[in-house]
Amino acid sequence: MADGTTFKIDGRDVVAKPGQTILQAAMDQDIYIPYLCYYPKMKPQGSCRACMVEVEANGRKMMVASCTTPPMPEAEVTTNSEEVEGLRRNVVELLMSEHPHGCLTCHRIELCGPQDICQRHVTVTDRCTICPKNERCELKDTVRAVELDLRTPLNYHRRDLPIHSDDPFYDRDYNLCIVCSRCVRVCDEVRFDTALTLTSRSGVALVGTSHGTSLLESGCEFCGACVDVCPTGSLTERNYKWEKAVSEVATVCTNCPVGCQMIAEVNKFGKVVRFKADLAGAANNGQACMTGKFGYEYTNDSSRLKRPYVREGGILRKATWDEALEKIKSGLGGRSSEELAVITSPRGSNEDQYVAAKFAKSVLKTANIDSALNADNALLSRLEARLGAGAATNPIWDLENSKSLLVVAGNPTEEQNVLAVPAKKAVREGAKLVVIDSRETELTRYATEWLRPKPGSEALLIAGISRVILDEALEDKEFVGSRLDQAEELKQSLWTFDLAKVSRDTGIEDAQIRRAARIFAESDAGAILLGDDGLTDKAAELVVDASIDLAAITGNLGKASGGIFPLYRGANTLGARDMGATPGENGRDIAEMMSGMTSGDVKAALVMADGVSGYSPTLSSLPAALENLDFLVVSAALDSEITHHANVVLPAATYAEQNSSLTNVERRVQLLRITAEPKHEEKTGWETVAAIANAMGGTGFDYATASDVFTEIAQEVSNYSGLNYERLQSGGIQWPVDSSILFSDEASKVTVVALNYDELANSAESGSLTFAPGRVLSQPERDVVVRKPADMNYVDREQFVQVHPDDAKSAGLNEGDVIQVKTDDGHILARGKAVFDSPQVGLVGATTLFGELATKMHELDVADWTPQMPGLGYSTVTLESAPVEQEAGAAAD
Amino acid sequence: MTTAETEQSSKLREQIRQVLNAQAQPTITVLSSLIAVQDSIHYLPDEAIKETATFCGSTINEVWSVASFYTNFRFTEPGDKTLDVCWGPSCHLVGAQQVLDSVHAALEIKEEGESPDGKVTLKYNTCLGACAQGPVIAINHHLIGKQTPESAAKIARELRGQSS
Repeated sequence: MADGTTFKIDGRDVVAKPGQTILQAAMDQDIYIPYLCYYPKMKPQGSCRACMVEVEANGRKMMVASCTTPPMPEAEVTTNSEEVEGLRRNVVELLMSEHPHGCLTCHRIELCGPQDICQRHVTVTDRCTICPKNERCELKDTVRAVELDLRTPLNYHRRDLPIHSDDPFYDRDYNLCIVCSRCVRVCDEVRFDTALTLTSRSGVALVGTSHGTSLLESGCEFCGACVDVCPTGSLTERNYKWEKAVSEVATVCTNCPVGCQMIAEVNKFGKVVRFKADLAGAANNGQACMTGKFGYEYTNDSSRLKRPYVREGGILRKATWDEALEKIKSGLGGRSSEELAVITSPRGSNEDQYVAAKFAKSVLKTANIDSALNADNALLSRLEARLGAGAATNPIWDLENSKSLLVVAGNPTEEQNVLAVPAKKAVREGAKLVVIDSRETELTRYATEWLRPKPGSEALLIAGISRVILDEALEDKEFVGSRLDQAEELKQSLWTFDLAKVSRDTGIEDAQIRRAARIFAESDAGAILLGDDGLTDKAAELVVDASIDLAAITGNLGKASGGIFPLYRGANTLGARDMGATPGENGRDIAEMMSGMTSGDVKAALVMADGVSGYSPTLSSLPAALENLDFLVVSAALDSEITHHANVVLPAATYAEQNSSLTNVERRVQLLRITAEPKHEEKTGWETVAAIANAMGGTGFDYATASDVFTEIAQEVSNYSGLNYERLQSGGIQWPVDSSILFSDEASKVTVVALNYDELANSAESGSLTFAPGRVLSQPERDVVVRKPADMNYVDREQFVQVHPDDAKSAGLNEGDVIQVKTDDGHILARGKAVFDSPQVGLVGATTLFGELATKMHELDVADWTPQMPGLGYSTVTLESAPVEQEAGAAAD
Repeated sequence: MTTAETEQSSKLREQIRQVLNAQAQPTITVLSSLIAVQDSIHYLPDEAIKETATFCGSTINEVWSVASFYTNFRFTEPGDKTLDVCWGPSCHLVGAQQVLDSVHAALEIKEEGESPDGKVTLKYNTCLGACAQGPVIAINHHLIGKQTPESAAKIARELRGQSS
């Protein structure tokens, strides 16, 4: 039945939505049925049998597992009869023989402390009080709910397995595992990684990895989904492992533009002790990633800046806010607008960006304002110019129903991780994936067609695909006929794209271009994920043009599960654009600001440094540039290479200490919620800027709360009109209000532009060697040895450097030589054995494992490590044979 | 990894790849591939799991869950020769337990497995199918009947290259 099934649970009328099982329908009605192997958003498994209920239908009674059984119309379900409860107790009792349970079934469970003398003789190691999940144990709750009462504990043998605490971020203690297989299933059917599996069988079956290997080589992306679903203490986050939380706050992750809704668990001291993905999150659907799940901790760091500092005699000394503001007033005041610059934080809220933009315009009167990760980047600006929004045209989770996907010059599995989850789901369910990327990334391993063009020729390749579609008449004729502006011009221009020429200039066989074109054009709904990695501004614009044209002629705009998704960086880059924190007329963007600082044209700056790191790929020259300034104000949560050059340092509140809003890639405006008031004199970004503005005589900066700022935003920014905090409370709203898919209005027109062959072909540079580093989750075809010199596992494997035979020849290298890849300034980017399988002249590749990165990030000695995640940036390089390494192993051979 | 490890491993992988590709049957699965590898090299090293995953388009963990499910797959290198000792009911009645005890002593092990010198793998067998000849043992699947503790121990020692 389309509108659901009506049946009864314990005498109550319940309507199950189509496809729901009895358990799901009951959960919607807040009727509790115990369950352990089931988990929301996962496929029912029916293995633990804790959810047994009695169903009476068609005059017959039966006991069924409610998690796998759909309700029959008019059925009567009993969840609480004596028989059902007895059966359920029996089932849970059997499970208890696998888990330490002396405490679980003890009446003193709530009273007992770790030091108490146990009258039941429960071994210390088997006690609940020493379990990290003691206060939040789902198994305990279930045992208590079924009122299991074991007078004498069951025979139970501790498995006596070592605890795996040598992999990054989380611990695995399989002594506590009840083999519900939630972790295995979430990894496989939600994350599509299969980094864990069920091993062995029957009584000794357990969760594990192949040959018991480390997670570093088993394909783990350290997203922590397994930790979130574990009902026992088997899987736990390592930091704050035993910490008890007293409250949960729904907030938003501020590491990437996906904007995952997260639950922050807060302890009694106001510290955020855990971050877990919110199952109700619209943007993330209950998922998170390594940076989101484990990168939240910097807000608790003891080295947080607590009060303002001003530099006197070369030394930063403690100061009051008033002193600091006075100093700022004289430092920033009285300068010409060209000398000033404002850099906002990529994590900064809409309020921060808005007030900073207002301050730059009305007080400093400068056009030099940008987010540190470049809010004015070519990718988004061109998208906005063409489509009216520098953002995704469709919601993120639309991707799960896409039938084909085209990913260009982006690495969403690392940079926008949760956006890749629905994409991977679509591929698992049969969607075809075309990847245009010179690098080997996780997605290239799933790709139906991996097109590995000469770097810079991506736009040409996309245009070539469009040309094939026209050639073979695969375009969406209705859409082209009724919805496109200037379709004729586009068609005319595409006729100049001779496929043989495209094939020559991109280095991709024409047969493969044709296959890719057919995949994209022949599917019902195709989405384009568009990055700008390794692209110049011009090339990025051309890629956007070519992609929009492609999406338009295939009718994938305004269609569910189609659309275009930009893969940019910075959690609130879109918000910064919306709020006007982008360079004004003749203003400098971040790159120009840095060059202006170096040349001495920019003399004073305000930097909001939360999430800004000189170690992030695009900002490596920032610390050196800041050194040249006459006057620098930095608002930062932590001391860093940015604050080292500051004249005034202001303490900043973090994501956890403010109520504010962020806008994610799918245009969803979401609320950050406060977990605890700032402990010292920290101020949020907008408070800081407003205080500076007021000190400098600005008017209109008298906001009392973030909500006041947002009210002004709603008046000033047309896309935000009608929004307020009240309306954003339940999961956020996409702008323009109530339009989750752009161009879904049948009357709206999409303007396509003609493409110029020579322009597209010229964006590909030639002559130099380009290094395109790759990174994947696992590579079973290659050997990995995991070594454990001390406490942690490390990946040890032979590196390969992919070079084209022609390039090797001109560098005088032979296949199998140990070579190194060197940048112009002498950095060695890769070192390894040369293999001659690079597909393009001029392209050098080397693939590393994500596990290596995870270890590196885990060991990084900085509180806020997420901005330091190295991306897979391209570099111009030279090749040379590597000097012989003085290694014990090598010498012995 | 040292160069020697790498070379040994890549040789093994090459061998495994050949076995995987030589499967003639119409339906090739993870299980059939694992059986083919074990038939050929008598155990499933780490390389076998990885090569099978690559060959079948699966992941190492999925292959491992299949491999570890079946108790007849082994993951460590077997001894040079296999010695089966029947401990089925018929052999048991005519003294298989004593035979087993003496073989244990001769091989210096206490249960199934490899002798410390790696020359002999001992397996318990529930029936070798020659009950009239019990107690039965088998060397590399060739049956030898009518064993006594002494004769079986002698054979076991000979297999290890020790003079009886």
